[in-house]
Amino acid sequence: MAFIEQLRIADLAVGIFFLGLYGAMSQRSIVKTIMSVGIMDIGAITFFMMANHQANALPPIAPNPAEQMADPVPQALMITAIVIGVSVIAMCLAMYMRVAYRYGTADWNILIRRLDQ
Amino acid sequence: MTPIFRVPLHFLVLIPVAAGAAGFLLPKRKYHFLLFLVNVVMVVFAVSTFAAVRWGADITQLMAGWPQWIAIKLVADRYSAPLVLLTTVFFAGTFLFSTRADYLDKTFLFLFTMLESALIGMFLSGDLFNVYVLIELGMLVIAILIMYKQEKQSVYDAMLYLMMNFIAMAFFLLGIGYLYRITGVLDLAAMHQRLPLLENPRAVIVPYAMIMTAIAVKAALFPLFSWLPRAHGAPSAPAIVSAVLSGVQVKAGVYLLVRMSQVFEGVIDAAPFFLAVGFITSIVGFLLAIAQSDIKLILAYHTISQVGLIVVGLHLGSDVAFWGGMYHIINHALFKGLLFLTAGIIIEEYGTRSYAEIRGVLRHMPAIGIGTLAGVLGITGAPFFNGSISKYFIQQGLEGDLGGIGLFVINLGTTLSFVKYSLILFGKPNAARPPSRDPWVATVSVVFGLACLAGGLFGGPTVALVYGPQYSAVGALGTEKVLTFLLTLAIAVAAYFLIVRRIGSFLSTIRRFKFSFNQITVFLTLFFVGLLGYTWWFT
Repeated sequence: MAFIEQLRIADLAVGIFFLGLYGAMSQRSIVKTIMSVGIMDIGAITFFMMANHQANALPPIAPNPAEQMADPVPQALMITAIVIGVSVIAMCLAMYMRVAYRYGTADWNILIRRLDQ
Repeated sequence: MTPIFRVPLHFLVLIPVAAGAAGFLLPKRKYHFLLFLVNVVMVVFAVSTFAAVRWGADITQLMAGWPQWIAIKLVADRYSAPLVLLTTVFFAGTFLFSTRADYLDKTFLFLFTMLESALIGMFLSGDLFNVYVLIELGMLVIAILIMYKQEKQSVYDAMLYLMMNFIAMAFFLLGIGYLYRITGVLDLAAMHQRLPLLENPRAVIVPYAMIMTAIAVKAALFPLFSWLPRAHGAPSAPAIVSAVLSGVQVKAGVYLLVRMSQVFEGVIDAAPFFLAVGFITSIVGFLLAIAQSDIKLILAYHTISQVGLIVVGLHLGSDVAFWGGMYHIINHALFKGLLFLTAGIIIEEYGTRSYAEIRGVLRHMPAIGIGTLAGVLGITGAPFFNGSISKYFIQQGLEGDLGGIGLFVINLGTTLSFVKYSLILFGKPNAARPPSRDPWVATVSVVFGLACLAGGLFGGPTVALVYGPQYSAVGALGTEKVLTFLLTLAIAVAAYFLIVRRIGSFLSTIRRFKFSFNQITVFLTLFFVGLLGYTWWFT
C-alpha cells in the first residue's frame, strides 16, 4: 500500500471532488444531491488551499520574514469561495423547502412527474 | 476623435450596484427616477469608454495600487468594450420598457441593478478569480429573479438552474486551482504568457477541460443546455428578466469562451471540438423550438440554436467568420431581447402563453406587432435586417459544400420555427379589450426594431465601427442571397403546413420529455470526459 502513503492532500481533494460529482449523478434524493454539490465545492476549495503549499512556511503576518511566509493568495481567495459556497447552498436548501412543501416529495424523478399535474 | 473624458473602469462596475443599494432607502418613485438617471449615466460612461478603446488604446486598470500581475485587473479592449456598451444600452432599454409594470418593486430593481454590475464586471475583469466571484454573484441574483413572481413550477426551475450552475462553478474553481498551481498567477494576460513556457503542454489539459466545461454550461452548449429554457422561458420570470438573460447573460458565456480560448492559444486548440458542438447545439436547439407551443419557450429554445451558430462562427478559424460571430452576439441581443419584451406584453394582453390561442397581434397592437415582425425578420436573416449580415459573414468563413449545407439547414430550422411563431401576428384579434399601454413600451420596441433594420442596412460599416475590421457586406444583399432567403422561406412554410402540423402528438411527447437532475449531471460529466479525451489526443 505504498501509494497511499504518497498521496498528498491535493490528491485527496480531487478525490473528494469526484466523489461529490458521483453523488450528484447517482442520488435521487434532492437533499443528498445538495450535499454532494457542497462536497464538490469543498474538494475544489481544499485543492486550491494546497496550491503552492510549502512545509514549515510561516503564517503571512508582519513580523515573520517575507521569504519564509506561506503564499497568502489561496487563503485570501478561498475565504471568499467558502462564503459564496455557503450562501449558494443555503439558497438551494431554502428552495428545496419550498419545492418539498409544494409537491410533497424529496425525489428528483417523482418531482418531475408531479410538475405537469 | 478623442473622448472628452475618461471614466475609471471600476466606476462602470460599481455605479449600478452602489446606486441600487443607496437609493433603496428612498421612496419608490424617487428610486425609479434615480435608477433612470443611473442608466443614462451608465450609457454615457460606456460610450466614452468604448470610444476611448476604439479610437485609442486598450485600457488596463490595476486596482488598489498593487503591481502588475498581482493586482486585480480590469481591462477594456476591443472584445469587452462593445459588450459593456451593449449591456448598458440593453439595461437602459429594458428599464424604460417596464417603468409601469406592476412587478417592478424596489427589491426587483435592486436585484436588477446588481445583475448589471455583475455582468459588466464579468466582461471587464482580467483576473480569473474575479470572473468566478462575479459569475457566482450573477447566478444567485438570476435564481431569485427567475422565481420572482413565484408562479407554477418556478421554484423548481430556479433550483435546477442554481444547482446545475453551482456544479459548473465547482469545476471552474478546481480548474482555477490547477492553473494557479501550474502558473502561479491568476491574471489572464500573465497566464497566457506563462503557459507556453511549460515543458509538457499536457499538464494543462485537465484545468482546460474543467474551465471549458463550466463555460459550456454558461453558454448552454449541447448537451448542457437543459437549464436555459427553464430559466429563460420560466413562466414566473418577468419579460425584462427573460430579455436580459437571453440578450446579454448567455453572451457572457460565449465571451468567456473567446477569452479563455485566447489564454490557452498556442498550447491547446480545441476549435474543431467546439465547432462540432456548436453545430449540434444549433440543430438540436431549433428542433426543440419547433416542438414547443408556449411562445416564450419557442424563443428560449431558439436562443440555444443561435448561441450554437455564434459558437460555429467563432471557431471556424477565419477572421470574417469570427467577427461575424461577434457581430451576431450583438444582433442576437437586439432581436431576441426585442422578441422577449414584446412576448411579455403579448402574454399579458392575451392572458395566455400558447401560440395557438394568440392571433392578430399586428392589428391589435400595431407597435408591438411591428417590433415582433422586425425581430422575426432579423432572426431569420431576411435581407436588409441585421441577422442577414452576421450570417453572411459566418458563411464567408465556410469552406466546401458541406458547411454551406449545414448553415442552410440551420437557417431553414430558424425560419421554420419562426413561421410558427409569426402566426400570432396575423388573423383576427381575439383579445377583448383595447390595449392601453404606456408610450415607453411602444417606443422601446420600435427603437429596437429600427436598430435591427439599421444593423442590416449598414452591416459592413457597423462591424467596422464596433469592432474595427473592415469587411464588405454588399454580397449579403445580392440577388442570390435574396433568392436563397425566399427559397428558405417557401420551404419553411411548406414544411410547417405539410409536416409540422401533422405530427402534433409526436411533438407533444418531445415537449413533455424532461431530463432529471441526475441525468443532466451525467451529461456534464460526459462533456468533461469528452473534452478531456479530445484535448489529450490532439495535444
